[in-house]
Amino acid sequence: MNSPENKLVQIEINGITTQAQAGSMIIEAADLLGIEIPRFCYHPKLSIAANCRMCLVDVEKAPKPMPACATPVMEGMKVFTQSRRAEDAQRGVMEFLLINHPLDCPICDQGGECELQDQAMGYGRSVSRFSESKRVVVDKDVGSLIQTEMTRCIHCTRCVRFLDEIAGTSEMGGIGRGDSTEIGTMVARSIDSEMSGNIIDVCPVGALTNKPFRFSARAWELMARPSVAAHDGVGSNLYYHTRRGDLMRAVPRDNEALNQCWMSDRDRYSHFGLRSDARLSKPLLRDAKGKLQEVDWDTALNAAAGILKDSGESLGMLFSASAFNEEYLLARRLLDGLGSKRIDSRLRESAFADDATRLEQFECPTAEISTADVVLLIGSNIHTDAPILGHHLRQAWRSNQAAIYALQPRAYNYHFETAATSVVNPQAMLSSLLSMAAALGDDLESADLPAQIISAISSATADEFAQDTIKSLKAADNPLIILGNMANSHANADFIRILSQAISKSLNARINMISAGGNPTGARKYGAQPAADGLDVQQMLENPGKGWLLWDVDPELDFDNPAAARAALASGNMVAVGSFQSPLVTEFARVVLPLAAVAESEGSLTNFDGDRQPLSPAGKAPGMSKPGWKILRQLGSLTEVEGFEFIGLSDLQSTDEFKVRDNKELDKIAEVTGLQRLGEVGIYSVNAECRHTVALQESQLASLAAISMHPQDIEKHGLQAGASVCIRQAGENISLPLQADSSIAIGCALLPAAITATATLGSAWETIKVEAK
Amino acid sequence: MKKIFRYFKSMALLELLRGMKLTFSHMFKPKFTIRFPEERTPVSNRFRGVHALRRYPNGEERCIACKLCEAVCPALAITIESELRDDGTRRTTKYEIDLFKCIYCGFCEESCPVDSIVETNFHQYHMENASERIITKEQLLAMGDRMEEQISKDRRKDAAYR
Amino acid sequence: MSEIQTYSMNFGPQHPAAHGVLRLVLEMDGETIVHADPHIGLLHRGTEKLAESKPYNQSIGYMDRLDYVSMMCNEHAYVLAIEELLGLEIPLRAKYIRTMFDEITRIMNHLMWVGTHGLDLGAMTLFLYAFRERELLIDCYEAVSGSRMHATYYRPGGVYRDLPEQMAKFKQTKWTKGKDLTRLNEWRQGSLLDYLEAFTDDFLDRVDDYETLLTDNRIWKQRTVGIGVVSPERALQLGFTGPMLRGSGIAWDLRKKQPYAAYDKVKFSVPVGKTGDCYDRYLVRIEEMRQSNSIIQQCVKWLRANPGHVNSPDHKVTAPPRELMKDDMEAMIHHFKLFSEGYCIPAGETYAAIEHPKGEFGCYLVSDGANKPFRVHLRAPGFAHLAAMQEMVEGHMLADVVAVIGTQDIVFGEIDR
Repeated sequence: MNSPENKLVQIEINGITTQAQAGSMIIEAADLLGIEIPRFCYHPKLSIAANCRMCLVDVEKAPKPMPACATPVMEGMKVFTQSRRAEDAQRGVMEFLLINHPLDCPICDQGGECELQDQAMGYGRSVSRFSESKRVVVDKDVGSLIQTEMTRCIHCTRCVRFLDEIAGTSEMGGIGRGDSTEIGTMVARSIDSEMSGNIIDVCPVGALTNKPFRFSARAWELMARPSVAAHDGVGSNLYYHTRRGDLMRAVPRDNEALNQCWMSDRDRYSHFGLRSDARLSKPLLRDAKGKLQEVDWDTALNAAAGILKDSGESLGMLFSASAFNEEYLLARRLLDGLGSKRIDSRLRESAFADDATRLEQFECPTAEISTADVVLLIGSNIHTDAPILGHHLRQAWRSNQAAIYALQPRAYNYHFETAATSVVNPQAMLSSLLSMAAALGDDLESADLPAQIISAISSATADEFAQDTIKSLKAADNPLIILGNMANSHANADFIRILSQAISKSLNARINMISAGGNPTGARKYGAQPAADGLDVQQMLENPGKGWLLWDVDPELDFDNPAAARAALASGNMVAVGSFQSPLVTEFARVVLPLAAVAESEGSLTNFDGDRQPLSPAGKAPGMSKPGWKILRQLGSLTEVEGFEFIGLSDLQSTDEFKVRDNKELDKIAEVTGLQRLGEVGIYSVNAECRHTVALQESQLASLAAISMHPQDIEKHGLQAGASVCIRQAGENISLPLQADSSIAIGCALLPAAITATATLGSAWETIKVEAK
Repeated sequence: MKKIFRYFKSMALLELLRGMKLTFSHMFKPKFTIRFPEERTPVSNRFRGVHALRRYPNGEERCIACKLCEAVCPALAITIESELRDDGTRRTTKYEIDLFKCIYCGFCEESCPVDSIVETNFHQYHMENASERIITKEQLLAMGDRMEEQISKDRRKDAAYR
Repeated sequence: MSEIQTYSMNFGPQHPAAHGVLRLVLEMDGETIVHADPHIGLLHRGTEKLAESKPYNQSIGYMDRLDYVSMMCNEHAYVLAIEELLGLEIPLRAKYIRTMFDEITRIMNHLMWVGTHGLDLGAMTLFLYAFRERELLIDCYEAVSGSRMHATYYRPGGVYRDLPEQMAKFKQTKWTKGKDLTRLNEWRQGSLLDYLEAFTDDFLDRVDDYETLLTDNRIWKQRTVGIGVVSPERALQLGFTGPMLRGSGIAWDLRKKQPYAAYDKVKFSVPVGKTGDCYDRYLVRIEEMRQSNSIIQQCVKWLRANPGHVNSPDHKVTAPPRELMKDDMEAMIHHFKLFSEGYCIPAGETYAAIEHPKGEFGCYLVSDGANKPFRVHLRAPGFAHLAAMQEMVEGHMLADVVAVIGTQDIVFGEIDR
């Protein structure tokens, strides 16, 4: 307690005596006391710039007013925030700030929630003395997400500091001096951070505003409705701003344990996709002529219940990994009631031998990631997997100097520096992990490991990367292993998980597995995964039953292997519940039921930390769409299954005990010959909502319909970069342009999954053939 | 004595006759009334009647969808929806005033930074269906086009006071 | 079969003499009132509650609609309460304008009252004469605010706009031309002040006309003398204010007792009655019109001599002039914020009361520091007066109920609020 950081000093602000941490700034002490000091450039999560000068206060014995954000507290300091001198200083600064500000309030989206307006009202003059002409700054185009209006900029540099410090992309800066200072991207280009939208929130004026939201509503028309994002398992807290029931925009909701005060662009913009014309709004039923016709709910539900009852124990339920806990729970009840054992929500995965030992939630809670000192990142583009986790990892690197080791099939452009990166093709990732296990030597706790793995380890030798990594992890106080989406969707993901868990256990490290979807933890906890003798998605697609229930799934884009999904779904009667139209559903489904999106219905989501977060509807669902639990409740009562006698969601009592099936024998690791496909799921391709958001699809981070290979590979295969090539997989072929990309490991080709161009192909992680046309 | 005097005064109906004299004298005075609707009483240039949306002389609508009028309207009579027009300007897609809700306080006109929404001196209007109480952007603009001369004349007259 | 002793009768809410929507349940013994029970609430619009959900300025227009025959006086109390909490000093010219319009309003209210009161008791002619003069005053309302009744003219910090230099004029038509037109426009040649001067010079004769028709009239006296007598003590106990209290002989007038606006700078006297019956209250109100006339004359004189601002220069509360707003950043911001969010009032509470034509009209305002009132309560004089209905009509005949309602000068807009 006596360390210098914890020393308290006594100060006095406006006559109120208080204690403040030595080294903290006056503005922090004042904020704690609830004394208002005007500010523009100060932001508690960013570094101190002290360049707006708005927070000038009067400090006793100081010859001039001092900036409260950059003046550390001192013992016995007396501060006056409302003395004549302080007020004069604030009024003077305000006058200077307004000199070059355009008279844009009526057409500015910030009007009504503008810090400049508020402080001009509170601290400024009421009539201007300035009569010269104002400066004009040329606008910048920074992409499809952020609208700029740089004449309005007051150079507080919050955006610059955000991109430097939090997003880590340093894409903006100030150019010029004095009157000709401009804030902009250094070279004319877009801002491509996956967290870029936060500069809208930090901007105190209307210089940076939300582009898709532009001109559509005023701050005072909007109701803030708390909600949770369901694009990754972090469960970022947010507010949807709604007007007359329509979702107008999303802004972050503070939660220090999860998203802090930030928000990823995916969470911020994807709700615009909910307005897409592709939304389903009416129940559809296939008529005698084979055409889908609009029907009322009763007809559709009866038809659906008929299919479910007919299918009985061979009914296969394929669930999105972003559904509500309650939907999983009810689906499990329905499935058990119908006597079926087929359900899965891990549609992008293909290896399921370790169901029982797979971790349900993070060992290291999100909030503690930044305390890790050595991190091993396996198969994860953390920007895409969960931008907020990326932010926490960056904080571990920035503030905790964490050494980060990455084992990847592609050298990602992280917003932190790695201590070492091993870029190898997916198959080689297995040997790399085995080599780490070998490096552990006797320290490896191999008691629970399958014999197959033990023998593989014994034949492996520890390479340099493995030895460095293990040495560093061993020496760490707070080691952490993170498995990304890519590791989980790997063809031998079960192998990777078992091995990484063993390594983690041997090192006393913690391990976090990032599964795809918005609620993977809930899906596992509440029963949307196979129980004893249950069939996983792979087995279901191999042995299709009589009926299917698809829940918010696009068969073309949401499966690891779209070709297999198409083949399997073509047989059997399909009931599709979903929010968006999709071609295969239109082709195959007997009944289509419109589902309200997550933001439009009631339920709860469980995040990676295992916390259950309840949601209430923020916006109104289009047309006749219904929340999932209501659809399931009615299907349950129509099929006369027990456990559906509740009325509201609050009546739903959950005493159901769910246990996932046991581990199976690991598959033999097949020798891979040929070009391995890296079927990355792009950051804005993860679900239908994102895929239908035009602004996100137009941004630089959206998946490109192209195939990329290492230049050496291109040469080896006798191809030409820039040319269109023919790609064969699973008996289908498509042609796409070929790009050279030296970040990709040798022996593989980046061909994104979850985009229409590749929707006919096979598994995202198997081999493909590429031929010149 | 006083009593007797009062008795006679009462019997003579004096105060009634005085009153009748007053009313009778109005027979010869000029009329106070006018022949409505052929004639109208004078209307102040500040008059707050039915609304109109104005245009600039080049034909461009003035309204920039700042929504101040919607915000300041005490009766919540104004509904505006706005969007980015193709030429990059901020414009309304919907501008509706519910004349049943409107209390004709004139705040919308006061708040308008571009003198777009005004309350004209036109006050003799009616509607035959309840649904006609909502006047649309097109109707408001048409009203503005029709009355622009009067509107600008009235505003000019009051310019010194605004 | 039992013999009927008394029976009850509904007077209103749809009765021409019920002055709006008063529902009076009368317990009658023959023609005699045993009990009178006024029912209120039929015109309740929740003004006080509505005000809690709007920025301060947006409720001014709703104050007009309380007592809808004395619009600006209602505004005055509300605006005064806001100014008191803000500690806002307003220009003297605005104070004079408010004083003048308060008195114009008083005359309008009393004209309305004397007209309908007379009509209720059988004097049809007076109604027409009173409304004729009221029309001339309504033109003043229109000239300054643009609205003939619901003016929204008073604003915290002053008034909406200065008095106009020109009055709208009659136009020539087929029927009205030449001398007729000149006569109609005779008062309208100059400014509003000229118009008012002409009006006030003429108005005393008009008041004499009303008195000619009523004051000595035997029918009028039979209907009002000795009806609804309230003793001074009782009047105080019942919370009477305004002419109702003064009719009972108590010289209580807020304009004298706690002057607001420019009332300490004008000369006038306060008429009081002797017996406290309907007739005395009639005389008091007639005299008040003469006093108001004199106050208006004094205000006209002062306003002519003292041009200047009518709004506080503090643009944190009053909107900046339009010209400034269009090319001045600070003014633009203040305009934008004032018309969207309004201004915030420091936490506190106050009660501001004015001498309304009907009595003491007060506004109790509580602010929690936000841009909307935490609580607004309006003290409506008519409410206390109506509460005395039972006491005033008990033992009288049915026809006297009409006289008592008339003398109370009931307006339901303020009672139900």
